[in-house]
Amino acid sequence: MAASDTIPKQAPRRSLRHIALTQELIVVAVSVVLFVFFAVALDGFLSSGNILNFIRNVAILGMLSLGMAVVVIGRGVDLSLIAVMAVSMTLAIVLANKGYSFPMALAAGLLFVVAVAVVMGFLIAYVEIPAIFATLAVSAIVYGMGRGVIATLDVNNVPDGLDWFIYLGRGSLLGIPMPIWIFAVTALLLSLFLRKTGLGRFIYAIGDNISTARITGIPVRPMIILQYVIAAVMAFLAGCVTAASIASMNMRMVNSTLIYDVLLVVILGGIGLTGGRGGVRNVLVGTVLIGLLLNGMTILDISFIVQNLVKSTVLLCALIVDAILNPRDEQTSQQGDI
Amino acid sequence: MTPIVELKGATKDFRGIAAFSNVDFRLEPGEIHALLGENGAGKSTLTKVIAGVHTLSSGKLFVDGEEARLATPAEGLAHGIAMVYQENSLVPSMSVAQNIYLGNEKFLNRLRGIYISAQQFLQSLNFHVDPSAIVGSLGAAQKQMVEIARAVHHKAKVIIFDEPTATLTPEEKGYFFKLIRKLKEDGVSIIFISHALEEALMIADRITILRDGQVVASDVTAGFDRQKIIHHMVGRTLTDDIYSDRQRPPRKRGRKIVSVENLSMGKMVRNTSFSLYAGQITGIFGLVGSGRTETLKVVCGVLKRDFFHGGEVKIDGEPKRYLVPAPAVRDGVVYVTEERKAEGFFETMSIAENIYMGKIGGEAFGGFRTVSMREARQSAEIWRKRLNIRAIDPDAKVIELSGGNQQKVVIAKALVQTPRLVIFDEPTRGVDVGAIAEIHAFINQLADEGIAVCVISSYLPEILALSDRILIARQGKVVEEMDRRVATEEAIMYAAVH
Repeated sequence: MAASDTIPKQAPRRSLRHIALTQELIVVAVSVVLFVFFAVALDGFLSSGNILNFIRNVAILGMLSLGMAVVVIGRGVDLSLIAVMAVSMTLAIVLANKGYSFPMALAAGLLFVVAVAVVMGFLIAYVEIPAIFATLAVSAIVYGMGRGVIATLDVNNVPDGLDWFIYLGRGSLLGIPMPIWIFAVTALLLSLFLRKTGLGRFIYAIGDNISTARITGIPVRPMIILQYVIAAVMAFLAGCVTAASIASMNMRMVNSTLIYDVLLVVILGGIGLTGGRGGVRNVLVGTVLIGLLLNGMTILDISFIVQNLVKSTVLLCALIVDAILNPRDEQTSQQGDI
Repeated sequence: MTPIVELKGATKDFRGIAAFSNVDFRLEPGEIHALLGENGAGKSTLTKVIAGVHTLSSGKLFVDGEEARLATPAEGLAHGIAMVYQENSLVPSMSVAQNIYLGNEKFLNRLRGIYISAQQFLQSLNFHVDPSAIVGSLGAAQKQMVEIARAVHHKAKVIIFDEPTATLTPEEKGYFFKLIRKLKEDGVSIIFISHALEEALMIADRITILRDGQVVASDVTAGFDRQKIIHHMVGRTLTDDIYSDRQRPPRKRGRKIVSVENLSMGKMVRNTSFSLYAGQITGIFGLVGSGRTETLKVVCGVLKRDFFHGGEVKIDGEPKRYLVPAPAVRDGVVYVTEERKAEGFFETMSIAENIYMGKIGGEAFGGFRTVSMREARQSAEIWRKRLNIRAIDPDAKVIELSGGNQQKVVIAKALVQTPRLVIFDEPTRGVDVGAIAEIHAFINQLADEGIAVCVISSYLPEILALSDRILIARQGKVVEEMDRRVATEEAIMYAAVH
């Protein structure tokens, strides 16, 4: 014991962080390999049209994943992201088409998103419904409202003459497309929020151990609601970028496998489902890898069904790696007793 | 005679950190073998290797003279080695009888049949547990009995008990020791891990002491006494016995911080009244089921008080009804939990991050401020020094520390919130001897600084050594108050059991 009394200033050994880093490195390395492979093997891959398409999809996937990441770090999950994104934008577009000014319509969409998230967070935090079921149910309700109450058609077009809005999806600044700018700015803000504010640290604390967080005096239940509000706002922003780049919003995307892609990004990037781990950096590497994979498969003209098979296999592998790298079995939870 | 279990040159490490290394250990048939050592000495891991929970990194394990490699607890059981865990390994939603027969069920399982045979079996062990009761509804001591019954029922040749008596009442301990002796007569070998040295001296035939993963002494019990064991455990003689500080006069009571008036809650707290004062340590003693933890948890908001029951909790004369701990923490009332792993610390965070989380969590608008790792390290460093928290690596996760150091982190995390009242629930449970002395000294220091301190403990010497004033709880109610000068173990126990 005597020898361990002297504590060096800098850590000589950071075992757990080291492992997290290697998982990130693996993902980065695989991404690079994939990129080079696609660039060499696929004709259309490096064409400007494809790169733009790739970037737009990556930005939307990335923003959704940022929202999901916040919730997963707090040991929750939000399956309603896609429904919230599609229906809130549809609401904004429908209102705009009815003659409201577009900023007003967007504000209404945002209000809708926050209201849904607060109700959902309340159900999870206070009524104590498991997150996976609460968000699934809310997702179905929101989609139903979208199809039945808000709009009559699946696809709703953004009204003409909104050049500033379309610029958010199709324009570019300093040669870099706007979606990437928006993604970068939101990632930066969220990263600062998670790492540099008390609220951000509280989310990690709750994800790590909710009972400890409670005894420590952290307002656990309001924090859970906040988590879902942040995720929903991210979904709304992703919806804005989607609508701006294709000038419409298609509610049928709720029935797509997009939500699984989002989960795939979060888990593959190294944010453990057990909560309290990971950050924005993990989302970035995960987004790039999954974005590349999806884009490459689309160019290769792999059928939708086979694509799903590949994605789900990758998801399963990521879950296995997560379980191996972040074990929460008896052995680790009792290491204090060695 | 061939030993029934033998380890030769055994080493086990986790991610390069050795739990124990190059250990030789022999367990003779029909022997009660006590395994002693500070927390972190490697006792639990050593026994888990024997039971097949962990496998050795190097060295050899012999069972009945034959080399064995046990990869799972099931293989251990097949070799006749059963382990009774410190943490419960029962299925809470099943009945007692189902738990006892778990893994041994016949293909067609008749519930009535196993209830009857479980009833007979439990009676033969003199355990008063209803075989049809759901395990989750039992108290800690009864759960422990079911654990033991299960191991005995497996007809094991070797039974390993990891801290079996920690949750038992004195009466139950008596039964437990009788049972162990009976098992020994039947030829069962027993390994017995304990922090209670007197128990080891009383019951064991042979004692092995581990320190920092090495066997430092192994001999028949007659070769040891309490002083000698402690000497081997900590590698130094504790000149003044940590529990013998009885001569000190009690501190004068300061301002009244908390007064509890006719508080009731559910079946656990029944119309209890008492007060806690600044600058003084109030010890609260009670047996299992006395409601002492529940009462204090209501005071600090950890347990929500229901609206059906009456009573009042006044902090500084003002009636308070905390629904969650957060407002209590802001009012300077903090709770240091007895369940360290379940609700004590954040396992993915470092020592500094844990303490810092206590700091920002305790602030009124802690969420709306910026945080920095530098500030975290600075404030953690102060507490690390004050509490002498030892870690090889300051960025090590708290889960990787020993029990005593984990407990110190939990304490620091609470004290960084500048409390006026600190409630310590079993502050030294699962903590090694050296750290106990340090934690006790620190608790005394807090009271000297004028903070109101409340210590809940089931260990009488601890209550007697620390308290200025002793409250005794029985059946959900504080029934008696004693001055430290007149209190004796017998008097306290007398008040607690009647």
